[in-house]
Amino acid sequence: MNSNIVITGEGIVCAVGLDKQQVLQSLQHKHTGIGVMKHLRSTHLELPVGEVPLSNDEMRNELGITDSYSNRTSLMGMLAVKQALADAGIDKQTVGKNNLRIVLVSGTTVAGMDITERFFDSLKTSNEHLACVKNHSCGRTTRMIADYFGLFDEYTTISTACSSAANALILGANMLKAGQCDMVIAGGCEALSIFHLNGFNSLMILDHEQCRPFDNNRAGLNLGEGAAFVVLEREESATKRGAEIHAYLRGYGNACDAFHQTASSENGEGAYRAMTEALQMAGLEPTDIQYVNAHGTGTPNNDMSESIALQRVFGNMMPKVSSTKSFTGHTTSASGCIETVICLLAMHHHFVPANLGFTTPMNNGIVPTMGEVDYDLRNVVCNSFGFGGNDTSLVLSLSRNDELEINNNEHLSVKELARVEITSEDELAEIRDYVKPLEARRMGKIMKSSLLSSLKALRKAGVEQPDAIITGTALGCLENSEQLLCQMTEEGEVMLKPTYFMQSTHNTIGSNIAIRLGCHGYNITYTQDEASLKWALRDAELLLRGGKCKTVLVGCHDETTPMYRELLHRMGEQEQSVIKSTSIVLTCGE
Amino acid sequence: MEDLILELKKKIIESLNLEEMTPDDINADDALFGDGLGLDSIDALELIVLMEKDYGIKLASPAEGKAIFKSIRTIAEYVSNHRTK
Repeated sequence: MNSNIVITGEGIVCAVGLDKQQVLQSLQHKHTGIGVMKHLRSTHLELPVGEVPLSNDEMRNELGITDSYSNRTSLMGMLAVKQALADAGIDKQTVGKNNLRIVLVSGTTVAGMDITERFFDSLKTSNEHLACVKNHSCGRTTRMIADYFGLFDEYTTISTACSSAANALILGANMLKAGQCDMVIAGGCEALSIFHLNGFNSLMILDHEQCRPFDNNRAGLNLGEGAAFVVLEREESATKRGAEIHAYLRGYGNACDAFHQTASSENGEGAYRAMTEALQMAGLEPTDIQYVNAHGTGTPNNDMSESIALQRVFGNMMPKVSSTKSFTGHTTSASGCIETVICLLAMHHHFVPANLGFTTPMNNGIVPTMGEVDYDLRNVVCNSFGFGGNDTSLVLSLSRNDELEINNNEHLSVKELARVEITSEDELAEIRDYVKPLEARRMGKIMKSSLLSSLKALRKAGVEQPDAIITGTALGCLENSEQLLCQMTEEGEVMLKPTYFMQSTHNTIGSNIAIRLGCHGYNITYTQDEASLKWALRDAELLLRGGKCKTVLVGCHDETTPMYRELLHRMGEQEQSVIKSTSIVLTCGE
Repeated sequence: MEDLILELKKKIIESLNLEEMTPDDINADDALFGDGLGLDSIDALELIVLMEKDYGIKLASPAEGKAIFKSIRTIAEYVSNHRTK
């Protein structure tokens, strides 16, 4: 079976355009979309951002949506999915006629935070805006997008911070290769929020001027927002339905830097592994690559670490490299797919996007391109690296890999080696047997319970280090997110506690385990409300049957706070425990 | 100076959540980062927040904090020379 994965449609909304054509124009004319904020109601007007030039109401009008609690992330997501479907010629009729099983995989982290932060204070005392609580989660945001189209058999959400969308493409490709569906709409969406603008500010990694990726004087990133989705299919089914093939998703790699929650390692180990793995799957040599769309955030740490990783992969045969975050701002969870679409535009229109803002080379860093015209791109690498060292690289190509090897050992059975559950706070004291107090200084309940249950399960299974870590969580580190929101309502947009923010991304949990174990393998986080564990297990089975792993650590972890439990009570929802962790070690055999 | 050193130790234990540590466990001249106490970049950011909130000292970047945050004593010296509250 020829199971090369192809892209047959793309949709994009970001600061430099509301569709592919507009984005292309901006890239070719070197017009950045970064500027003074107009839609975000933050007091930090001094911070440049890359906003989508539409208000929420303008988006609702365009989509015909009346729900005022529909968050900006989902609205942008709907706009991009709509374009991608149209681009690939998919509508209800085509789906029905061809009996297509379509899956939506979306990457997001911010989800409904823009609405939650607006009503957070009022939730404490009034039920007026209680409806926004249900719309808060990442899983709910994806569900809103899916419900809007009514086309999807299944949907799920990946939340690995800034590599979320790139990982959505990986899951989509793996599901297609295993024959679990016929088509995947994969990508990501992320709106700006006051929450994460202040969070990044507390980490002191926001440039107060236009960002300057890979420049010696770079001083941080500019946040952006947007959404992008692509239509993925197996080549044979795309050809069969007469679809135009735009590109091949020829290779991909997901590795964990396993170094620090918010910093990349000096030798760029995670990034190096992700790129190497992606090239290997693509069946390509580094010299086959003409362009790298770098993660290139503009922070001193990322750009140095990524430079080293690029030098390790490409040596002195460095292809053209640029960071298009100088156009869009850092669109965090959406960036992996926004930049994939940018790569496709560059391949189809024979140019290399510029790295705006660059003037002075770094010591020992890579020198980015200021843009090229009439330049043929056949194979490109697109990098996305997330907090916690969740690093992902994609290889996009105009040609298929004729030697693609697919292992799909359906006959193999997946076996559970060990399972450990933690259901009460009292059990957390045992963490002392595994972790020194100093190492646990920033760990909240969920971080302790996830780490403790994982370490116990691995010990029980006799596995020192798993090949992959797959985490499920409905709401992630709820307590830290709530503390940051409380601090913001009480003190305003001041220098907030960085510890709260760095633990507000869902993938903090899985990264913490990887850092503890020094595990560089596949690392991913699913956040699909009550189906989070189900998706984590499903991905584990894909990996095990695909022959990529021998052992996988799967976990599902959630915590609640007094405020959240009270909100659940007021909504008439089922009670939830203070802490709940399940860790499972899986293997595969005859 | 000794009073300020003790005050700083208490504040740092609290803001960095150094569970089970007491001021006596930290030597005023010991390195806080690296091979010393073992603090990291997030702790440095927490110290920047502490400087601003409690002593009115604004640091523009973590790089600026590097020399100041060497040990409790270097912090105490900087605070006593630059505090605005």
